[in-house]
Amino acid sequence: MVKPSRSYRVFQGVNGVILTLVVLVTLYPFANILARSFSGERQIRAGEVTLLPKGFNLTTYRIVFRDSMFWRNYGNTVLYTVVATAVAMVLTTCYAYVLSKKHLKGRGVLVGIAVFTMFFTGGLIPNYILVTNLGLKNSVWAIALPNAISVFNLLVMKAFFESLPTELEEAAQIDGLSTYGVLLRIVLPLSKAVVATMVLFYSVSFWNSWFSAFLYMDRTDLMPVTVYLRNLIQGATGGGNAGAGTEQLSQVAANIQSVTIVLTALPILCVYPFVQRYFVSGVMLGAVKG
Amino acid sequence: MQNAGQLSRRQILAAAGFIGLATVTGCGSGEDGGDSKDLSKKRHGAMKNYRAGQQFKAAEPLSFSVLHNNNPVYPMKDGWLFWKELTKRTGVTLKPVDVPLADYEKKRSVLIGAGDAPFLIPKTYHPSEVAFVSSGAVLPVSDYVKLMPNFRDKVRKWRLEPELDSIRQSDGKYYLLPGLHEKVKSGYSLSFRTDVLDRHGLTPPTTWDEVYDVLKALKEEYPGKYPFSDRWSTNTPFPCGALFSYLGQAFGVRAGWTYDNISFDHKAQKYVFTGAQDAYRQLVEYLRRLVAEKLMDPESFSQTDDQAVQKLLAEKCFAMSANPQELVQNYRYNLEKQVEGAKMEMVPVPLGPAGPVVLGGSRLENGVMISSKALKSDSFVAMMQFVDWLWYSDEGQRLARWGVQGVTYTRSGRQYRPKPGISLMGSDPDAPKDMQKDYGFYNGVFAYGGSWELVSSMFGPDEEKFQAAMARREQLPVDPAHPLQSFEQEQATLWDTPLKDTVIQNTLRFVLGKRPLSQWDAYLAELKSKNMQQLVDLHNKAYERFRKENG
Repeated sequence: MVKPSRSYRVFQGVNGVILTLVVLVTLYPFANILARSFSGERQIRAGEVTLLPKGFNLTTYRIVFRDSMFWRNYGNTVLYTVVATAVAMVLTTCYAYVLSKKHLKGRGVLVGIAVFTMFFTGGLIPNYILVTNLGLKNSVWAIALPNAISVFNLLVMKAFFESLPTELEEAAQIDGLSTYGVLLRIVLPLSKAVVATMVLFYSVSFWNSWFSAFLYMDRTDLMPVTVYLRNLIQGATGGGNAGAGTEQLSQVAANIQSVTIVLTALPILCVYPFVQRYFVSGVMLGAVKG
Repeated sequence: MQNAGQLSRRQILAAAGFIGLATVTGCGSGEDGGDSKDLSKKRHGAMKNYRAGQQFKAAEPLSFSVLHNNNPVYPMKDGWLFWKELTKRTGVTLKPVDVPLADYEKKRSVLIGAGDAPFLIPKTYHPSEVAFVSSGAVLPVSDYVKLMPNFRDKVRKWRLEPELDSIRQSDGKYYLLPGLHEKVKSGYSLSFRTDVLDRHGLTPPTTWDEVYDVLKALKEEYPGKYPFSDRWSTNTPFPCGALFSYLGQAFGVRAGWTYDNISFDHKAQKYVFTGAQDAYRQLVEYLRRLVAEKLMDPESFSQTDDQAVQKLLAEKCFAMSANPQELVQNYRYNLEKQVEGAKMEMVPVPLGPAGPVVLGGSRLENGVMISSKALKSDSFVAMMQFVDWLWYSDEGQRLARWGVQGVTYTRSGRQYRPKPGISLMGSDPDAPKDMQKDYGFYNGVFAYGGSWELVSSMFGPDEEKFQAAMARREQLPVDPAHPLQSFEQEQATLWDTPLKDTVIQNTLRFVLGKRPLSQWDAYLAELKSKNMQQLVDLHNKAYERFRKENG
């Protein structure tokens, strides 16, 4: 073990300080929102709340918990995330695995089709017409299917599969496994890191997404909680910006927003630390092997 | 080489994709409104002799789809009494397509663009309907108002023709059925901490000179504070949109939310550039004086509404723009909790050089677009009669605002009251039911416009006082119609935006003192270099043309 040089230690120190500052800056909004969600309305209005709650109260939590539409939409978010992530994982894995086989004929075209969609899209209205005419509107499939394959994730996964030694698969085939058997019993168990990363990528993006739901759902009880939240915040802050007609928008209390934000971000925040281990190695693998 | 081969295959793929797309979109735009003038086959469910003031009742049960703007303050419920009562009275069931308020306009564009729009598209603000005109997706409703006796009756009675002319397109038709008001309703003005004024022997100002004096006196009492801080500066291209708007009115110019690059000079009988008018300079000078003498908080022009209100509640300022709702539900409500003995009042818009006037043109409100698809329906006539009844008849407007007499409200003469146990816009915070949330009345999608009697029936005591004072003022004439043709419209848009940006930026720089007012002429030269004159000429040409063609 070489002893780190002095300049390297200085660099480490400076690095540590800067990154700590970045972390603090990033965490501050979270801490502030959390503090606001537990604070009294008067203290929020007076701008007194920074890091710690002032005028502690749980009334707003009680109010939001009682709003049945919030829970309905929350349930939708869970459902959409689970279904969409499952669909996305199956499709992305299959596609990536196929693409990782160098002997596949037309592999370039298949990659090209995927990459093409990264740069060009049909546009909002053609997509809308497509989804509507396929009869997917107002169902979970409108959210799950059009976004099922993220090309970036696909390429990362493909790179990962390519890095696996082909000898392993050959050995498995000699032992009598079919193609699916190889995938399910040899390749996937060895790919936990990348699978975990992809699940995380997909589920976070589905959890946070609101646009496709907003576009393809016509009823409030089908919306995910992100749309609920967006409407709440927009409704509270948009008052008066058009001058006319907004008189009916009375102010939604500031801490209802905070409470809703906290409740929406909470599950992802809870899951993150546990998956993060895989997350780092998964991203690294894709990056190094590019 | 292999690489090159792959690339060309991709190119073929791309080309194929584009061709495919082009075909799809090409087909989409080929659709057109269908033959329309003969309505005799479209009378399914319609009333034979539908007249103004008559109850509309469909001959057979009908249902129409409607785009519904879902307000988070009163989220839509299927069980609203409004839906049931509407069906009971008219035989029509509305099928709402529910869109969150936050992105209403975006979804509306997609639905119309995809040809999937509901028949009725309410909550549309002029001029956002213009974008859909050329596609033929929305109906030129002016061709069909003959089916709408209540609408025509109100237009005639309240002399709204000039206002309607202002929303006509270059083909002489209008594509939006706007909300109609009998009188101009003023929304915004200055509000003051009257307890602070009283303490120092000051009276609420009635002119802008007095506003200056009052702020000056407050500044002497509280040298460390800005007496006036303002809001409505975010989410709008023109910061302090409300203040500029009502202050501009006192100077006889459009500014703030009401700003438009061109406005009509009634003396010279031609269009001129708003931001270059002398009155506009006076307006800027006035505000400059407030900011220069530290009477007005320079952060007013950039802070969020929340930040502004926090200053008010923390007693860092004593005056702020308000509308009656904000005054009661926000300022006063929160001040009471925070500052003992605090009183807040809104003054009628202070008077300026233009005298006791209100700007014209605000008697139209947001309104309903009708999808062209509706014309193909065999119950088109009944639908227009229904729209006429719900949005334009006294009875329909009363239903949308107040609900059912004896159930949700009581009435004696001109006095309307919500039934005990029902709160309307916070009138009774302890009431178990809410007029909007639980019954679906006074919903912004269905309730707007109307006679002064009906509109004023919703006023709280503060608003009543304010509106009564404002209603005595004279309404300035409306700008005459000057619709541009579509190629002119494109040209105008190209000129409009940079000009508007220049005006707004320089207004702020002048007011904040970043540019001395002695440079006003240089500013005018900049406007000229950005095609100000061409834009004005274009509109004057359109004005002359429209006058010649339509008398």
